[in-house]
Amino acid sequence: MRFHNTARLLGAAFVLSLVAGCSDDTDNGMTTTGPTTTRTYQQIERLGNPLVSEVFFMKRDHGLHNNTAPATDVANGFGDKIKTFTNGFNRGATIANTLAAVLVPDMLMVYPNRAGNTAGWLSWALANGYGGRKLNDDVVDAGLTAIFGNLLDPNAAVLPGLTSDNISTSTRTYGTTFPYLEAAR
Amino acid sequence: MILSPSARRPFRAALFAALGVAVLAVGARVYASDHQDTPEVELNPRMDINDVYAFPGSSADRIAFIVTTSSPIAGSNASFDPNLLYQIKIDNTGDAVEDLVFQVTFDEGTGAAQKYTVRGPVAPSMTGTKTALITTGTTITGTVGSAAGSATGVQTFAGVRADPFVIDLEQFFNILPDRRPSTGALSGPATPTASAFRNPGIDFLKPFNALGIVIELPKSMVLASTDAAAKFGVWATISR
Repeated sequence: MRFHNTARLLGAAFVLSLVAGCSDDTDNGMTTTGPTTTRTYQQIERLGNPLVSEVFFMKRDHGLHNNTAPATDVANGFGDKIKTFTNGFNRGATIANTLAAVLVPDMLMVYPNRAGNTAGWLSWALANGYGGRKLNDDVVDAGLTAIFGNLLDPNAAVLPGLTSDNISTSTRTYGTTFPYLEAAR
Repeated sequence: MILSPSARRPFRAALFAALGVAVLAVGARVYASDHQDTPEVELNPRMDINDVYAFPGSSADRIAFIVTTSSPIAGSNASFDPNLLYQIKIDNTGDAVEDLVFQVTFDEGTGAAQKYTVRGPVAPSMTGTKTALITTGTTITGTVGSAAGSATGVQTFAGVRADPFVIDLEQFFNILPDRRPSTGALSGPATPTASAFRNPGIDFLKPFNALGIVIELPKSMVLASTDAAAKFGVWATISR
């Protein structure tokens, strides 16, 4: 996008210079207009659930995820993209359909009136919990277990080398008070 | 923030020092959970949202939201991009369209010389991928690196913190090379060089920082219903 815009601006500048060159160069009454106060911003990046774009989507589709909104995720075939990924590992329809059901549209779901001690990524779907995502949630292992284990489909084969990255969030310290994030290193 | 080659050098040096390993001597870019993205985002880490969190706040009636961006950031003087609009969006009616937004912007400057402004929660004037700045509702202004607002109302923070995300990112890319960055230390062959995670894995991002935005507030401000089945969806965006 940046380069397209730059090319467009350069093109516009060239046209303007041609116009200026054809006009009476004693005329300095050209008015300019500053940026408006009602600038329209264009989305270039988004993230809801962890791992959705970066694990399930081919890199060529990351732009589609970044430049669209959750309301069009179903129409844009995000569920099929998840299925394509899991099919690549022969994980079966049950796992693919379950993942698509909880991750599309791609919003991090929160049930804030449920007990706070049930908070955790996807706990809303798996255990009637608060959901959301805590800093110490091991979402990598949770995601890998869902995809490559038999949590979502008891009949699925377990691929043991892929159900964990063998790193735990317990190696980190997270704050218990605002602003929660550990101090810079 | 597309660093010139000369400007990159101190950044790389800091990363090498942080890692203390020779393996990164071929480059200097690593990425956390959503740390691999479109080419443009890859060129500008400040356009990159790494992770989004939502969890119970300091009391049962409060909720906290965290968005991390820009990992890896070296040093404590990093800055947010003053040309970008960072948003947290909330759908509390179940249609996947935002009903409330927080909008966060930054002025020029680095480190504690940079100020941030948090607007919201408030209904947006536009929904979807185009956005205009909100001109009504609550606004909180703070200094990067410091908290602002109220511990009983809307409380805000923005600044450089440790990247909280944990993953053996190098091995992830070895297994799924399509997701690799196209340049830097983690670039590599397009075909898999591993079919399983290693044990023990490597906590690849532990040495690195990210830019964090934290907002905590009464949950009633984002969801009026007290019904146990009441829910909302949340996501974060960056716009320009």
